[in-house]
Amino acid sequence: MTKKSIEKMGVRFSISQKNLGLVQNFFERYATMIVAFVLTGISIFAFVHYYQNGLGLAYNDARSHLDIGRRVVEGLNPGAAQLGSVWLPLTHALMGVTIWNDFMWHSGLAGAMWSMLAFIGTGILIYLFLKELGVGLLGRLIGVALFVANINILYLQSTAMTELMLLGTMTAGCYYFLLWYKRESVIYLVQSAFWIMLSTLVRYDGWFLLFLATTLTLIHIWRAKGYKTAEGLVILFCTLAGFGIVLWLLWNALIFKDPLYFAFGPYSAYSQQLQLEGASVLPTKWHWLPSAKVYFYAMAYNVGAFTMILGFLGALTLWIDKKISSNVRVASMLLVAPLLFNIIALYLGHSVLYIQGLSGDTWFNVRYGIMMMPSFAIFIGYLIHRFAPLRFVIIGLLVFVGFFSFASSDAVTIDDARVGSSQKNVTEISSWLREYAGPEKGFILISVASHDSIIFSSGLPMKRFIHEGAGVYYDTAIINPDRWARWIVVRSHSDDDSTWRLLKNNPGFTERYEKVDSYPFADIYELKPEYLPSLIVEPILKQKWGL
Amino acid sequence: MKIFFEKLLFAILVIISTAILLLGLRGLPGNPTADDLNSLQWTRTGPFESSNDRGRFALTYSLLEDHSLQFSRDIATFATPDLAITKDEKYVSLFAPGTSFLIIPGYLFGKILGASQVGAFAIVSIFALMNTLLIYAIAKRLGAYPFAAALGALTFLFATPAFTYAVSLSQHHFSVFVLLLNLYLLIRWKNWWSLSLIWFLCALSIVIDNPNVFFLFPIGIYALGHIVQLKKKEGDLQFSIRPVYILTLSAIIIPLAFFAWFNQVSNGSSLQLSGTLKRVLSVSQNQTETSTDVEKLSVNIPTGENIESIESNKEKTSVGFFQTRNLWNGFYVHFISADRGIVWFTPIVLMGIFGLVFLFRSHESITAVIIASMGANVLLYSMWGDPWGGWAFGSRYLIPTYALLCVGLAISLTHWRKNIIFLTIFIALFIYSVRINALGALGTSTIPPQVEVLALEKITGQIQKYNFERSRDYLYEQGSKSFVYQTIARKSMTAPQYYALVSSLIIATGVILLLALWFVSSKKKV
Repeated sequence: MTKKSIEKMGVRFSISQKNLGLVQNFFERYATMIVAFVLTGISIFAFVHYYQNGLGLAYNDARSHLDIGRRVVEGLNPGAAQLGSVWLPLTHALMGVTIWNDFMWHSGLAGAMWSMLAFIGTGILIYLFLKELGVGLLGRLIGVALFVANINILYLQSTAMTELMLLGTMTAGCYYFLLWYKRESVIYLVQSAFWIMLSTLVRYDGWFLLFLATTLTLIHIWRAKGYKTAEGLVILFCTLAGFGIVLWLLWNALIFKDPLYFAFGPYSAYSQQLQLEGASVLPTKWHWLPSAKVYFYAMAYNVGAFTMILGFLGALTLWIDKKISSNVRVASMLLVAPLLFNIIALYLGHSVLYIQGLSGDTWFNVRYGIMMMPSFAIFIGYLIHRFAPLRFVIIGLLVFVGFFSFASSDAVTIDDARVGSSQKNVTEISSWLREYAGPEKGFILISVASHDSIIFSSGLPMKRFIHEGAGVYYDTAIINPDRWARWIVVRSHSDDDSTWRLLKNNPGFTERYEKVDSYPFADIYELKPEYLPSLIVEPILKQKWGL
Repeated sequence: MKIFFEKLLFAILVIISTAILLLGLRGLPGNPTADDLNSLQWTRTGPFESSNDRGRFALTYSLLEDHSLQFSRDIATFATPDLAITKDEKYVSLFAPGTSFLIIPGYLFGKILGASQVGAFAIVSIFALMNTLLIYAIAKRLGAYPFAAALGALTFLFATPAFTYAVSLSQHHFSVFVLLLNLYLLIRWKNWWSLSLIWFLCALSIVIDNPNVFFLFPIGIYALGHIVQLKKKEGDLQFSIRPVYILTLSAIIIPLAFFAWFNQVSNGSSLQLSGTLKRVLSVSQNQTETSTDVEKLSVNIPTGENIESIESNKEKTSVGFFQTRNLWNGFYVHFISADRGIVWFTPIVLMGIFGLVFLFRSHESITAVIIASMGANVLLYSMWGDPWGGWAFGSRYLIPTYALLCVGLAISLTHWRKNIIFLTIFIALFIYSVRINALGALGTSTIPPQVEVLALEKITGQIQKYNFERSRDYLYEQGSKSFVYQTIARKSMTAPQYYALVSSLIIATGVILLLALWFVSSKKKV
């Protein structure tokens, strides 16, 4: 044998075109199911991982969301009125399905379950969106993989936060909006309106999506069919898509006597931001450049700087690509709604976002930067499709960065939850309540607006707590604390704590309670033993407006 | 005639590059002892100004003079802060050993001539020269005109921070050599021995600098394509595996066995990488101060090198040094920042991007490998906790990317050889980049990152510069670190005059090559 023949010696086999076609057809046919199946597995695995290491409830807000959901079904004044005033109600309402179960409440699964479903749904929607853009199977799967392999997404989908629900509903809204632009069948517009309506009930980002979608609808139909048709379709669209907002305004008007209570009430983001502004720690307000800079940093840390750059390249490629219709290109612009909303919100001072190193030495709300993740996944899927000869280079580099992301467990959202301003370590105080108040009879007076995480972490039933939402119990306890509350948890000398503010001059509190312990976020006061005989320890009052 | 002409051009390129490298080569005469090495003459004001140089030379010295991979106290002091300590409290190098071993012949030869350090540094220069020739050869093979290829090669060597690191002691040119030689082998041959050599070099690259494994990955994947081939023929998908080629993978055994042996003897375990050992920041007679001690004390750190050490020691796993969260800042530092950014230090290489676009049309797969290697290099060192590379000149970690972009530059020049606007921009940026990078090579290459300057100003009470202006100031105030300048030229000229002479020589060569390219193109003869 010659040297050349030895070199050429080898094992050869081939897959025929027919078989290749069968494989391709199989994937085309069942890809959605396969994606759903794989994502379900990943979603469960991620939840178990973060549940076991205790990070699933690291966000103070996650615990508050769970408590809100729990108060709807359990407490001194259960009912829909407990859905809250500032945070939009959909996630809390959905939690009602399982939050009555103590395990579901305290594991966070009652809330995370919806995040997980939204995670799976968003993955499928990315796949379908890319399919509508004419992207091949590989591009579609890479788009999904990018979304799924984002460590911040995996973390947030394992928590009772609202981000994934928002991403899911917004992506669904965008997807059906694209279908409507492509096929001009009103049913898709209605479906889009439905999902956008849901997104408006998850977070206020959805309200901006509604505005942008309405604008695009108006422009599109006006140009294509004239004003009359445009007017009709916009009304149709807004009637459904805006229904949630109308309900929310009505809710606020009914419960809090002010339709804009959520926006300008004492617990609103606006009020919080006013305080921050007063303390000169809101540098983004009325400044475009810092607002954009902070948000770009947040995106770079959440979705990854490389992914973000490729995402913008993909968006550019999509929008200048004349191979696809201008309708599709215009409809896909809806995908940048989160970017525009967040910059505008920072500029107007309705939102606050701190980046470590850029805004002092802390993180706060950095998770907002994750909002563009599904959009970037779609744009990059398209980029891979259009730059087919370089697709393996792009994929390889994405895998390369992804490897390090997991190897170094680099999740900024976890830092945001653990070390940023969003975290609140209430272990000590909640342990005290569990240990000393748990076995005894008597109510605990506390403000949920200030100390919801203490309630959650104490592990005590919600009905042990008298809080702002407890209706007559709270009103009565504020007047006669010594008759109703055996323990009072307040942040002494802080008027931000409504219970302290209302009690600080009440002799029933100042003379009949003694401070038994003090912690970083709150102090515990206990009723002096001599007043115990007249303390009411059973829920005997009838609510005025329990729904 | 054409072959003779090309050989002549090649010879000229070699001669001129060698001459300029000799003029820039840093060093002092003499064979320094361990005691000498710790003197200011050899460290701060001498050729070992950077701990990068010292750490690698320390191992060579220890091996040849003390016959040990573990350092004596004097050598350990010399190597700080790039010094590690093993579990049994032996001082060892913090770096991968490849560079220290590769410079051994130079050290020995230099010692015979009475300049051991110069001999050791000269090995780096030789590899830099080989890299220049490899760029020339690769560019030509990919379709560049000889003059354009020569210009691309010259640009890499003298108009990027590669110049600074060609006349001092670092791992960069060895890493680039492995990368370029692999690329050349991939383009040139497709047989078992070339494949064996590729695997050998890939494994060797880890011994030179551990992170090399990451940006050589695309080359490895491409080379694997020689073993497992996937083709679409008449709609069918054909796989072919060549068992004989699989055997070529055994070529990795030699470098990896050497590496394992080194780790075993030096670090106490064949799998213990030097970089993952505990770092020692300073060595005194009674006490060893480790990075952990410094972290506990939270003391003010006087130099950037120490700041680097603390940050990079927080994670001590081999991949823990790289964090995706650093990417955004890393991109900024490498591309835009005034203290390291390409746009300030070597903007000319960016013109190579156009060349890669042209190259992609004619050589799709190899361009993909080039882009992937560049991408891996940029991404890897943007994730690195210290993208500045400590106190360094320009973005030194991106030297492999500069080399690949200069291949693209040769293609750009070939494609736009008659485009006066492009050629004008090229020559303007070439002159600018040469002038900047000659400052780093002939002056000082220890430039603090901008983030450290405020702390430094507080300590020193002086304004501190954080870009090439610092090298220029050094050149004007303290002279050049060049061996030729120190031993011969300083008698007849000042350091700025020497700088002007060297940079003018490079620029003149570049202008002549460009004119030749333009002239030959206008005559439509090559």
